[in-house]
Amino acid sequence: MTLEITKDWRRKLILEEDGYDISAGLTSADPIFDGDIIVDDHGDDGLLALGKFINLMRRKRGLSIPDLAEQADIDVGELLSIEKETAHVPEPRTVYMLAQVFGVSDRKLMGLSGLMQPKDETYVEDAVRFAAKSESIEKLSALEQEALNGFITVLSENAKK
Amino acid sequence: MTATQPSEIRAIELYDNAGKDFVEAQRWHGVVDKNLADWEAEWMPELQRRLKLLNQQNVERRFWPQSRHWDWRAKLKDIEKRLANQSFALVCNGMTQAMMTVDTTKRARLEGQQTQHLVYVDYLEAAPWNRGDIAGDPPRYRGCGTELILAAVELSITEGFKGRVGLHSLPQANRFYANRCGMTDLGQDKTYENLRYFEITLEQAQVFIGKGKGA
Repeated sequence: MTLEITKDWRRKLILEEDGYDISAGLTSADPIFDGDIIVDDHGDDGLLALGKFINLMRRKRGLSIPDLAEQADIDVGELLSIEKETAHVPEPRTVYMLAQVFGVSDRKLMGLSGLMQPKDETYVEDAVRFAAKSESIEKLSALEQEALNGFITVLSENAKK
Repeated sequence: MTATQPSEIRAIELYDNAGKDFVEAQRWHGVVDKNLADWEAEWMPELQRRLKLLNQQNVERRFWPQSRHWDWRAKLKDIEKRLANQSFALVCNGMTQAMMTVDTTKRARLEGQQTQHLVYVDYLEAAPWNRGDIAGDPPRYRGCGTELILAAVELSITEGFKGRVGLHSLPQANRFYANRCGMTDLGQDKTYENLRYFEITLEQAQVFIGKGKGA
């Protein structure tokens, strides 16, 4: 038999699949991994800093969330979650694409988001400090600009150790 | 011996992310020798290339594709003489884009439909180039998971199981089955490597199939 699904509905389902992994099966290569518990100890602070950094960079470039999502080829909903939800753990690909767009180290952004264990944790602490520094500012003020500059410095590939 | 022709070919669509448009594709009922040849000659080298990139980028192994050790030829050999097991493949642009095997002997676990038969998804995987991990380009085709789960729901209805489908999700795919397919998360299953078990009820299957009608 054939399911009675309209073409539009089927297409909607297909479009909504964007960004999702779909693998299902009886055996996992790393079975101890639980997708719900993947943030390292510093993760909450790091995720907060990541969300703040993305928010500042986006606003500095005058981009809306949909604009940035299109530019980075990532899901709008996930970008929104990164900026607004401090507990949201982003997809590795999303972090990688954002690092490419903003010209910062993908490894360091991954470390900030808890997706990788940073070899040098000091930049995570620095990033959290800059996030805290910019927290009370509504618009991209001089203070935020200063915080953003600090972000860029510590998250750049060639940052001094 | 693996069949050379699928028992049925159904016209479907997938979304070409680069071309930003829907493209014609096919859903084959029955994974056949051509699909396994694609897996060996195209999937495996691409998977190895991506694993190498992930390793070079120091991405922890827990974030690598969790199905990277699967052997589709062995899986098909295991079920080739079992009538209760069936398989599906999605083909687009002459290449196998995803595969799935299912078992129709399993029973439901969800309260309210326990002991009822369902279609259990043994294995479901997309080609490496359709995956959303960080190594390599963005996914090439979108919709493989949707089309294969729709195939499972359709088979479940055909078999008289009223759309009931169950599966163990690999960790990185939990969000897809919970959020996009609307399946019930029955939590980690200690008997299956702590993978999360998901099940879709008749009502949920109807929502999955028809929630967009008139929307």
